[in-house]
Amino acid sequence: MDLMDFIDLTQSLIDGVLFGTTYSLIGIGFTLIFGVMHKINLSYAAASIGAAYLSLILVSLVPAPIVYLGAALLGGLLGWMVYLICFRYLPLNNPLAALMSTVGMLLAIEELISHMTMGMPQNYPALFASTNIEIGQFFLRGDLIFVFVLGCAAMVGLTLLLKRTRLGLATRAVAQQPVAAQLCGMGVNATNANTFIIAGFLGGTAGAMAGAAIGVLSPLMTLPLTVKGLVVTVIGGLGSIPGAIVAGLIVGGAENLFQFLRGVSERDIYVMLMLFAFLVFRPGGLFAAPGGRD
Amino acid sequence: MDFYLGLAQVIGIHSLLGLSAWCVLHTGQVSLAQGGFFAIGAYTAGVLTSMWGWPLALALAVGALLAAAVAVAVGFPALRVKGLMLVVATTAFAEIVRLVFFNFTWRVQTPAGPVGPDGSLGFGGIRYFPANGWTTLEVCLLIWALVSAVLLVLWWLDRSRVGTLWRAVGEDELAAQSAGINLTAAKVSAFGIGGAIAGLAGGVFAHYATHIEHNNFSILLATFAIAYPIIGGLSSLAGTILAVIFIQGFLLEGLRFIGDWRSLMFGVLIVVVMLVRPGGFLNQSLGVSLGLRRGGSPNKAGSIGKGGTHA
Repeated sequence: MDLMDFIDLTQSLIDGVLFGTTYSLIGIGFTLIFGVMHKINLSYAAASIGAAYLSLILVSLVPAPIVYLGAALLGGLLGWMVYLICFRYLPLNNPLAALMSTVGMLLAIEELISHMTMGMPQNYPALFASTNIEIGQFFLRGDLIFVFVLGCAAMVGLTLLLKRTRLGLATRAVAQQPVAAQLCGMGVNATNANTFIIAGFLGGTAGAMAGAAIGVLSPLMTLPLTVKGLVVTVIGGLGSIPGAIVAGLIVGGAENLFQFLRGVSERDIYVMLMLFAFLVFRPGGLFAAPGGRD
Repeated sequence: MDFYLGLAQVIGIHSLLGLSAWCVLHTGQVSLAQGGFFAIGAYTAGVLTSMWGWPLALALAVGALLAAAVAVAVGFPALRVKGLMLVVATTAFAEIVRLVFFNFTWRVQTPAGPVGPDGSLGFGGIRYFPANGWTTLEVCLLIWALVSAVLLVLWWLDRSRVGTLWRAVGEDELAAQSAGINLTAAKVSAFGIGGAIAGLAGGVFAHYATHIEHNNFSILLATFAIAYPIIGGLSSLAGTILAVIFIQGFLLEGLRFIGDWRSLMFGVLIVVVMLVRPGGFLNQSLGVSLGLRRGGSPNKAGSIGKGGTHA
């Protein structure tokens, strides 16, 4: 391998890692909800893309940063609605029912998007799309850097929320021991709903980031984003937020690397094989939560 | 008439798929790999009849056996994890299978021109039924004969010692293990039998459709596969068939008159069904609510789920 190949390889790795923050955010959302309710919300990535779509309404009215903010807020709203429809009134001891209802929600959101847009991909505003930072031989795409910074900001915000506020304390308490938390006077239902709203903020941000980085939104993005988010959750370790962040960057980087080496049609095979390697050699994930609870 | 026969064929193939997922769900495992086994069976049987000129029965059997072998080989590492991890692991496996077939090209020259899998263009020309002069009715009868045979085998398995072991593992893994049940054997056998049934379904599907491509075997197919038993209720085989008829016959075909909004209604109706009957159509609480309570725990679906999705 000569120098040019090496530069191209590193370049695609960097681009992938920068985009990987999107996967990180989706992974965090899955992990958060799983941590609190011990259930999978399969409609999460679809709702995230849906929030980005809804924020398109704002595009002609306000500048791009407000559109991103709108996507985050709408994501929270969608998260709350998903909680009410798919979780609130289902029996707690039946995770299969919640699994199925979120699958139904995933299909419904995907179809609704296709209907509202006539199946046409929609342009999404990007910031700094024409700015490129040049470091030696490498180009850093401005829009990807912006996506990376936005993702990091969302993660810092989430950490502060979980560690510094009473709401975060309640969320962590319910995740640890729902019964004990209830006995201490915390409303489990209210906390669960809040967790969905927080995860929805992250998801809406991630949807907007994906739209900004790729330049378009399409209903075809929902299933791949769901699968990648789940992969990130497992590689990072269930219930581990730092794990999801690191795993998101790894998956984003690996994806672009394999795309560079083996082409776009084969890249996901290797990403999935990487997941299998993790499952065999490190089944608890990178940052497995300490054992204890079932 | 042909329309109804065609619908009956689709319902038959999806019944096989749902029954394959039923086996695995019965041991409390949620697997999205059924679409992968389905694809393996489809491509194997298709290659054997259209490229090598094998008879159909042999091709279907080999497809099912190969799918079962892959299921057992994947089952050993994959079934070490459970709950969400298993969902993701099996999703990853199904995606690998789909992408392998997406990149798989192997054409041979036959008197009727080149046939074989052609990468992203799919695998066309699996023309066993038309070439041998089968009518739609005969194909339909073949499919339903296979469904009946599988139902009979599963019904017998369910009443035998194997079914008892599967149920015990599904209800409470810890208790089953304490009672000396070999968890790995129970789970892997269910996975293997489920894989064989999915492979059989795939082989039939390949010949029914005559053209298959990687898109047929996406995660959506696996989602359908587990949706049938869950919506129908895990406590009986009839529930799965009922759910297939409800989804394929009513939701996808019966609602054709509402046009494009049909696929939207589909997702909404799944949500509604789960809200109204979270344990499935035919779970035990239906018997309870009708005053027909027999033995067994009324919240069986819940305890199966607990083993299934808690990590």
